[in-house]
Amino acid sequence: MITPIVELRKATKKYAGVPAIEDIDFALLPGEIHTLVGENGAGKSTLTKAMAGVVSLTSGQMLIEGREVRPETPVQALHLGIAMVFQETSLVPTMTVAQNLFLGQERFFNRLRGIYIAAQQFLQSLQFDVDPTATVSLLGAAKKQMVEIARAVLHKAKVIIFDEPTASLTPEEKKYFFDLIFNLKARGVSVIFISHALEEALLVSDRITVLRDGKLVVTDRKENFDRARIVQAMVGRDLSQTLYGQRKSTMRPAGKRVLSVENLRMAAMVKNNSLSVFAGQVTGVFGLVGSGRTETFKVVAGVIKRDIMYGGEVLLHDRPVRYLVPAPAVRDGIVYVTEDRKVEGFFETKSVADNIYLGLLAKLRGKRKLVSKREATEVSERLIKRLNIRAISKDVKAIELSGGNQQKVVIAKSLVQDPEVIIFDEPTRGVDVSAITEIHQLINQLADEGKAVVVISSYLPEVMALSDRILVCRMGKVVEEFSALEATEEKIMYAAIH
Amino acid sequence: MIGALRTLTDQLLGRGAAAITVPIFDGALKPNQILEQAETFAELEAPEDLATDGTSLFVADGACVLRYDDDTATTVAQVDRRITGVANLPRGGLAVALDGTEVRVIGGPHDGRNWTSVAGKPLTAANAVCATVDGRLLVTDGSQTQPYDRWCHDLMSLGRSGRIVELGLTDGGAREIASGLAHAFGTAAAGKDVWVCESWAHRVLAYGGEKRGLPVVSRLPCYPSRLAPAADGGYWLTAFTCRTQLVEFVLRQKAYRTRMMKEIDPRYWIAPALTSGNTFLEPLQGAHLKMRGIHKPWAPPRSYGLVMRLSPEGLVRYSLHSRVDGKNHGVVAAVECRGTLFVLAKGRRRILSLSVADVERRLLS
Repeated sequence: MITPIVELRKATKKYAGVPAIEDIDFALLPGEIHTLVGENGAGKSTLTKAMAGVVSLTSGQMLIEGREVRPETPVQALHLGIAMVFQETSLVPTMTVAQNLFLGQERFFNRLRGIYIAAQQFLQSLQFDVDPTATVSLLGAAKKQMVEIARAVLHKAKVIIFDEPTASLTPEEKKYFFDLIFNLKARGVSVIFISHALEEALLVSDRITVLRDGKLVVTDRKENFDRARIVQAMVGRDLSQTLYGQRKSTMRPAGKRVLSVENLRMAAMVKNNSLSVFAGQVTGVFGLVGSGRTETFKVVAGVIKRDIMYGGEVLLHDRPVRYLVPAPAVRDGIVYVTEDRKVEGFFETKSVADNIYLGLLAKLRGKRKLVSKREATEVSERLIKRLNIRAISKDVKAIELSGGNQQKVVIAKSLVQDPEVIIFDEPTRGVDVSAITEIHQLINQLADEGKAVVVISSYLPEVMALSDRILVCRMGKVVEEFSALEATEEKIMYAAIH
Repeated sequence: MIGALRTLTDQLLGRGAAAITVPIFDGALKPNQILEQAETFAELEAPEDLATDGTSLFVADGACVLRYDDDTATTVAQVDRRITGVANLPRGGLAVALDGTEVRVIGGPHDGRNWTSVAGKPLTAANAVCATVDGRLLVTDGSQTQPYDRWCHDLMSLGRSGRIVELGLTDGGAREIASGLAHAFGTAAAGKDVWVCESWAHRVLAYGGEKRGLPVVSRLPCYPSRLAPAADGGYWLTAFTCRTQLVEFVLRQKAYRTRMMKEIDPRYWIAPALTSGNTFLEPLQGAHLKMRGIHKPWAPPRSYGLVMRLSPEGLVRYSLHSRVDGKNHGVVAAVECRGTLFVLAKGRRRILSLSVADVERRLLS
């Protein structure tokens, strides 16, 4: 019998007496790719964090190659050969890519050029197109993820845990990533892979474990699973027909043109980009990472600035607007729901209610001289109910919620501002399947109410399922537009690549 | 002082009035080749405008008006000058604009009535005539400084002397509804209001009651021309060419424009045109790169063909295009008659015909 490289027996972890995982028996075999799937809050992250020394088990045993261990910190886990690539990046944003890669391996004298050259060579060997001299805070989500992956590979770990690694990667980058995983496997490295993309789980895994409500539901070989069985195990009901699978058969007619972008320029990311957004429609925006889609809409919402000279124009109801910060955009009715919720989306130490109310205060600015606790309660309760945010109470800290519920808080914070144009950037990234359905329903509802909705997504089935019209970005500009009825995955991908 | 500083800053940074930006053709304006693929109904010597009485098509061709019943053309009016605008009158007869300087009624109960000036100013570039059911004529006078043919001079000199005038068929009265328009070209009655196209401002304005130039369609990516009512409500709006960043840039360069107008043959100006590709001397050739012998349809156009279908509220529902690689450019008029849309592509001196039902089936379902 093969000795598992990592084994958990009766693993239980409780937060304030509430079990996040309970009595889990889990085994990872040498050279195996093992996928963990489950809704947000199912316990996947807690289980893997326990293995990676981020949290300690409340009870139960952990064994590495048959030897009982108890890693208390990530460094200890790394010394035991376990590295984790987190869902939300753990890079130091003010350092360069190379400095992040070699963080913790510094010598007394460090030659910066040498580090950059080594990092360049290493990144190239992984076929990751990332500039080692770039500051991490300036990178997009996908590139940050690449740096995380590269760092784990660099540490020569025996077990690498990937928490939602592909959520923000483009199809080509995913292919590189999967090749990398297979390469690691061939070298005897075991991989734990957490993913909400079930197709990926079925594609890359040797075995799949499904968790639900902190308990292990089933572990089996990939061949014994199909999509429906996984979904059934994850949620205890059949959701296969309500998620992504359906293409739109009708489209909403366009209302008035609410937002126009004309010849917008922003450094090397947005190059003479033009587009329109109409009321009462969902405008889907698809593009590979680096296509300028996120940056375009960040300029629209005042999150980043366009070029100072000949930067083009943004028009709201045919009136030129130029937002240097998001606050005036919010007051004018434009909100941007970020793709990076942990960093830009909410205050993690504030309660759900406070976060939602802060959204309203941002809109009202000087009109509220005093904060009203009663108003905060009313507003937050209304939105918690509308968005079905599952929290023990409205006073729970946002950080303690699952990814899906955190995303709903971010959306609630924007909806409380009663926007006219709502820009969702990767609205279901790192979100469980039932929350995806709810978020999709909300997006459709907003469009039905006559709002101008923009959905930026890397996931084609999502774009196709939601959008009335689809804009495809490439190399900093919109290169193609499809109506919902004429769009196919092949056409969209062709436009995005060629 | 602050205004002057702002203008200076805008010019330096390329923003505000100095922003060289052009709206995109997307949404309902997404390009297609429907106009290019349309059937050619007739090719004429000098077509200028179209009109309909609901059963027949009327075409102003040179100095005569032709009536088409099915495919057969009959001359119904012959005058001594070129006709620059035509409209059918509800009680019979035609109203025509002659060489832009006179509006005359031919036939019907008001036969022979004419106008050469309005509000003490002579008609200079009368380019579109519309008859209302209550016995008025709406006429757009494109420019007070440039005659009908010299519309490009008007654009390049940033003309703002166009006007919309109202003429009384019964009493012969005349009054200005609005003046100071950036090339008025095309008008239609919209209930109690009057809609007028302001070509150089790329918009359609509404006048009437409280509305003193309320934009109903604005920031078009093209130079709009005539308006005509659609059978099931709304309007057909044509555009004789579309905007490019190069032309927008030239329009902001006064010294360059002045010198270009002084020294270069107007046919070769960096300016919009009704047709292009006729000589290698034309500008914008550099942008018209061909890939394997195929003209890129998305290249910056010097001439273009466009018809837009507007809802009664002024929303663009769909559009028909002849792109850069096409020929049916310089669209100046479109009328709907018995389920068929007739489009005048002046650049090719062609009248095109399309089934409205087919077009809507293709674009809306």
